[in-house]
Order: sequence, then structure tokens, then C-alpha cells
Amino acid sequence: MVAKPRWIIHVDLDAFFASVEELLHPKLKGKPIIVGGDPKGRGVVASASYAARAYGVHSAMPMAQALRLCPEAVVISPHHEEYARRSQAVMGILREITPQVEQISIDEAFLDVTGCERLWGPVRQMGEMIQRRIFEEQGLPSSLGIATSKLVAKIACAEGKPRGLVFVPAGEEQAFLAPLPIEKLWGVGKVLGAKLRARGVRTIGDLATWELEQLVQEFGEVGRMLYLGARGIDKSPVRSSRERRSISQEATFAHDTADRELVRRMMLQMSEELAARLRKRHLVAQTVRIKLRYPDFSTMTRQVTLSQPTDQAMVIYEYAWELLHQYWPPGRRLRLIGVGLSGLFEGGYQLGLFDHQDQRWIRLSQALDEIRQRFGRRAITRASLLERKKRSGSLKR
Amino acid sequence: MKVSCLQENLARGLSIVGRAVATRSTLPVLANILLSTDAGRLKLSATNLEIGINCWIGAQVEQEGAVTVPARLLTEFVNSLPAERIDMELLPRTQTLNLKCSRFEANIRGIDAQEFPPIIIPEEDSRANIPAEVLRRMIDQVVFAAATDESRPVLTGVLAEVSAESLTFAAADGYRLSVSSASLENGPETPLSLIIPARALQELRRISAEAEGAVQMLVAQSRNQVFFHFDDIDLISQLVEGTFPNYKQIIPTSYNTRTVLDTGEFLKAMRMAFIFARDSSNIVRLQITPNGGGGRLVISASSAEYGDNVSELDAVVEGQPIEIAFNARYLIDALNVIDTEQVALETRDPSSPGVIRPVDGTDFVHVVMPMHISR
Repeated sequence: MVAKPRWIIHVDLDAFFASVEELLHPKLKGKPIIVGGDPKGRGVVASASYAARAYGVHSAMPMAQALRLCPEAVVISPHHEEYARRSQAVMGILREITPQVEQISIDEAFLDVTGCERLWGPVRQMGEMIQRRIFEEQGLPSSLGIATSKLVAKIACAEGKPRGLVFVPAGEEQAFLAPLPIEKLWGVGKVLGAKLRARGVRTIGDLATWELEQLVQEFGEVGRMLYLGARGIDKSPVRSSRERRSISQEATFAHDTADRELVRRMMLQMSEELAARLRKRHLVAQTVRIKLRYPDFSTMTRQVTLSQPTDQAMVIYEYAWELLHQYWPPGRRLRLIGVGLSGLFEGGYQLGLFDHQDQRWIRLSQALDEIRQRFGRRAITRASLLERKKRSGSLKR
Repeated sequence: MKVSCLQENLARGLSIVGRAVATRSTLPVLANILLSTDAGRLKLSATNLEIGINCWIGAQVEQEGAVTVPARLLTEFVNSLPAERIDMELLPRTQTLNLKCSRFEANIRGIDAQEFPPIIIPEEDSRANIPAEVLRRMIDQVVFAAATDESRPVLTGVLAEVSAESLTFAAADGYRLSVSSASLENGPETPLSLIIPARALQELRRISAEAEGAVQMLVAQSRNQVFFHFDDIDLISQLVEGTFPNYKQIIPTSYNTRTVLDTGEFLKAMRMAFIFARDSSNIVRLQITPNGGGGRLVISASSAEYGDNVSELDAVVEGQPIEIAFNARYLIDALNVIDTEQVALETRDPSSPGVIRPVDGTDFVHVVMPMHISR
């Protein structure tokens, strides 16, 4: 099955601190600017304008060395509050494009814009618009990389700097990466880079000729990362702060089972436990997912997004059971089931005018939480969960 | 057909009937406007089979007749003409309407008027006269609370209850209920209730914006239609079939806390809180504290990502202190349509409906469910 490609944009502000200083002091525009600590002490370069970089100055370089390379540079001590303010304004622009924004530092962020084409037009155009808006509204130059994964988007962005926009079409990731030096790959630092070069691997393309087994044998788990990286494969999601957390429970049955009633009860119990944990942490969940494992260890997960978030066991259970119902063929035995919740946040949900059931459930769960808090987790449970407990296997978080 | 009229009259008429034109219909004629001569005037008609609008404009009729022409084309053409006299003539053989105005001319191909579904005005049945101004207030006070999704079709409509001496509108979308009423003179003797699509009332509100006299309402229950007439305009609408929930049962009859506030201040503070709340499911928290004969209301909203906001208002609080959360949008919608200086918020507990009433006004009540919050 070929999945539809994701579209990830990596946005990086060019020489961010130095660019902000240029805005604050327009006379310095185009001059070599170094933002950093005291040149007489042991300060280092925090950021250098492109004019300064032309002399070989780069960030994290000792200030004294930087000034030897570029004696005419203007040295400015950093104005962190101003940078933070500008950074927030830029992130605000990005969040207007999509809520799926992962800020990774003061001047860098990933956007997952999959499906945003309907709203903003083709991804490349979207990238141009972002770049233009950051410049027009905040006066800041930026570079963008657009690709089907975070890995390739970030590398593409670095390739275009400064003021670049590099778009890597779906399917061309490996070809794009091939000519680049091996150190450009995520996670390849000096040490690993040297090791690879010692084995004749100079470019990412060289690395792509290696088999998985070879790489794992040579480099262990890192080898797997190299193997995927060289092919431009990176499935890591863009994590906006809202969805970083999730909780789940799963249970292996004592014996593989096709007993609906047993499975149903297990699911109810898990939903109860999950809901209680949510409430204890003052969270609500937006997504319910289930996991099914068959005796041959084949495993399937399915999830559903709720129209309104919840912290109620019966709501979680009803959605989980409905999912199970759809994907579990009658009679097929199960080895394990799991229920998980994600999209957790501190929030709430709208109560219904005609639906008094949810109000009753809320009161019931408040009472249950209080009883359990006083007398322990096993002090009170549903009658349906009491019978046949021995056969149901054990729960683990 | 041969008829002349003024450009501004025709443009105004077209804008009135234009919203009833079907935009996506399998029946091509529904994308057209029917032009017909009627007792010395020009009658414009459009319908999407749910609602239909007729509008008469002054004209000089030289020869009777009728034709339908594409609404969008005609409207755009007429809107771009100078404010002068337009002469129209139908060429019956090709059903082409020739329009001349100043030095501009167009021929628009139409569809035979016979194809157009007739918009029939009910003969009789129940009728009531409502001052236009009252009707506009009532529509404004309820129509926003009607459901916009079709999962429960009756809730996309507004319940109208008509009796000899009163008219009541009620709308609910599952989270809130809005009820507005007015007294009537000479209402129908047998009380009746009907469900009018909210969209029809929105259109009625729009086209009656400048009406000053009375709006006549006729109900043809046998045909499942309601009909409004005022000035030179008719609006006819299909009714929504089904049973509207018993809204009287939903209105709480008691409260533990009654908070009286300045309507304008409350609305202003809610709008401010909404700026922060819209990022987190519109949640605003109200903290109400009585204090002797007075008290206060603290409104707070926060966004995990962006920050928070707190406003404090003076209030007259009677009863218990309470903390309750609402959807800011819903409170703003309700406060927007209250025209008295003061407003009362009645609450029982954090998971029971809140009631908003104008102080010194009995013709409006709004019920809104709170939000359950995790902390």
C-alpha cells in the first residue's frame, strides 16, 4: 500500500539574531554583524550576519577568533527579549497556516501542511507565501525546505540558505540527498562522519548503496537510522504541543479468545481505568484508539477522533467498542487488546441540552473517583466486571 | 412581453429575489428568475423549492408576457448598467430577452415561463399581522440558536407558536435554546404551531430590513407552507416536518444563584475573554461571588499556548457563590440580542443549564448548557 505523501515544511530564520539587530539598527544593514558575548572575555558568537559569515565567522566560535577573522565586524550584545518577541510573532504566522506546528528552537519550526492545499494552494506556493509573510510582516529573511518528511525538509532548507526555498518532489528524496556530503544527514556528527569516511562513504548516495544488514552489523541500531536516512525515509510526526501526550492500556488474554462478552468487559474495564487516569491528571482526550493482536502476532491499530473531547469512561468505551466491532471479524481469536487515548489537553467539553445522560455520568464518575481515592482502586467497580474475572487476563499500562 | 422600468428598481428587485435562486439544482429553470407582467407592474420571482420570493417593481407595461432568464447573468448585467431607463422585449420564438439601456444592449437567452414552478399564495387558512420591527427583533433573538447541521432536521427550524393574542419563536441546537415572544392583535382563533426553516427567516429578515408597516403571515397547514407578505414582497417557505422538542420543559424553573449585570459591560468582557478562549474550545470560566447586597463576577479565559485574560465586573448576586464554565461564543450570541440595560444570569450548578434573561423584559429567554472542564 502506498500512502499519500505527507507534506512537511521546515522554516529557519536566516542569521536570526543578526537579522533582528539589522532591523533595530538599519544603518548596519549589509555590514558584518556579530551578536555575542564580550570580545575581551571568553564570549562566543551567538549569531553572525551573512556578511560576517563571508569571513568564515560562524556561531559558537570564540569571539576573539571571530574578530581576528573579521576585524571590522560590529559586535552587539544580544537583546534576548526582542528576539523572543519576534520569534513568537513568526510562530504566530506559522500557526495561522496550520495548527500542526512544531517549534524546535527560537528560529526553527516544522509544519505539517498535509491537506492544507485546499486552503492555501499547492505546497510550493504555500512555502512562498510563508516566506513572503515572514519578510513583509516581520522584516525577517528565512529559508524553507519542503519535502515529504522532516528529515528531507530540514536538509533541503539548509541547502537553500540564505533566503532559499528548496522543494523536493515526492519520490525524488533519495536522488536529492545522494550528492550531499554524509555529514548533512541528521545524526551524523564528526565522529560518525569520520568513521563513515574511513569506510569510503563520502556522500549520502554512497551510504545508500549499503545493505541494511551490513549497516546494522557495523553500527548497531544507528545503522538502521542511517539506512532509512540515506533513502530519505523518516516517519516521525510533526508534534504540536497539544498532542504530545497519550495514555494507553493493553491486556493479553490468559488464553486466546473469541468470546465477545469477555472482550467487551475487558474493554470496559480499560476504559474505566483510562478515564480515571485522565480525570486525575485533569485532562480530556480527543482521540480513542484500539489495538488488536491475533494469535499469529499480527497487530492492528485503529483510531477515531471524537466530535468533542471527553474524560468519561462510557464515551471512551462506546467509541472503542464501535471500532472493535468494525475491525474484529466474528469468531477470530484475539491474543491481546488495547485501548489508548491521545490528543490530551487541559480543557473541556460542551454539555448537551437534551442529553441528560452525560450529566449523570459526570456525577457518577465524580462519586467513583472520590470513593476510590478514599478506599482504594478496587473498592468499587461495575457489577459486570466482577464475574469471570480470573479468565480475563491481566491489565498492564 | 414588452416592458420598461428604471435600472435602480430592477437592480433592487433582483437583489431581493436573488437569494431564493437555486445555486445547485438539477432543474435548470430554478437557476433563473421569472419576469412577468402583473397588473401594470413587473413581477420578479425566484425559488429553490424550499423558499420562494416574489417582488413587484414599478414598470411601464406595453405588452403582457413572461419569461425566465439566468439569475446571475441578468443580475450582473443590470448591476453594471447606468441608473437609467431599461427597455425589455421578449422575442417569443427564441425565448430571448432583449434589454436596452442608454447605449448598452444585451440579448439573454431564457427558458419558457411555463417551465417555472408556480409560487402559489395560500388562499386562506390562519393569518396574523406582525409589526415588521417586532418580527425583526424576534428573528434576531432566535435564529442564531438554530442548528446548522442536519443531524436533527427539526432543529434547523424555528418553532413558531401562534395564538389569538401572542406569537412565540423558539430555536435550539442541542446546546442552547432561545425563546422570543410578542403580543398579537387579532391572531388566529385556533392556536397553531409550525416549524419554519431558520434560513427562510434569515432571508425574511434580510429583505424586510427597511419595511415599516405590518408583515402579514399566512399558514397553509394542509400544504405545509408559510407565507409572509409586506410592501411589494412575498416570501413563501416550506415548513419543516416533525415534532419540535418540548422547549418549555428545558427552561429551568429555579436557580441557586442569580447574577444581575450591565449588559454592555458583560458583553465587552466576554468578547475580550473570547480572544483568549477561541484557541481552547472557547472555554470561559465565570466565578460568581455574592457580597452583601452586591457581588462580583470574575471572567477568565486561557490558552495553553498563548496566555490568559481575567476581567472583573460588579454585579448584584443573589444566592450561592458558583464557578461555572461556558462556551464564550454562545454567551456573546445571546448577549448580542438583548437590548435592555441589565441582564440576569441564573445558574443552579456547574453542570446544569444557565438562563439568561433581560432585566425588565419578559419577551426573551435564553437557556445555555455549561461546559464541563477538566480542571
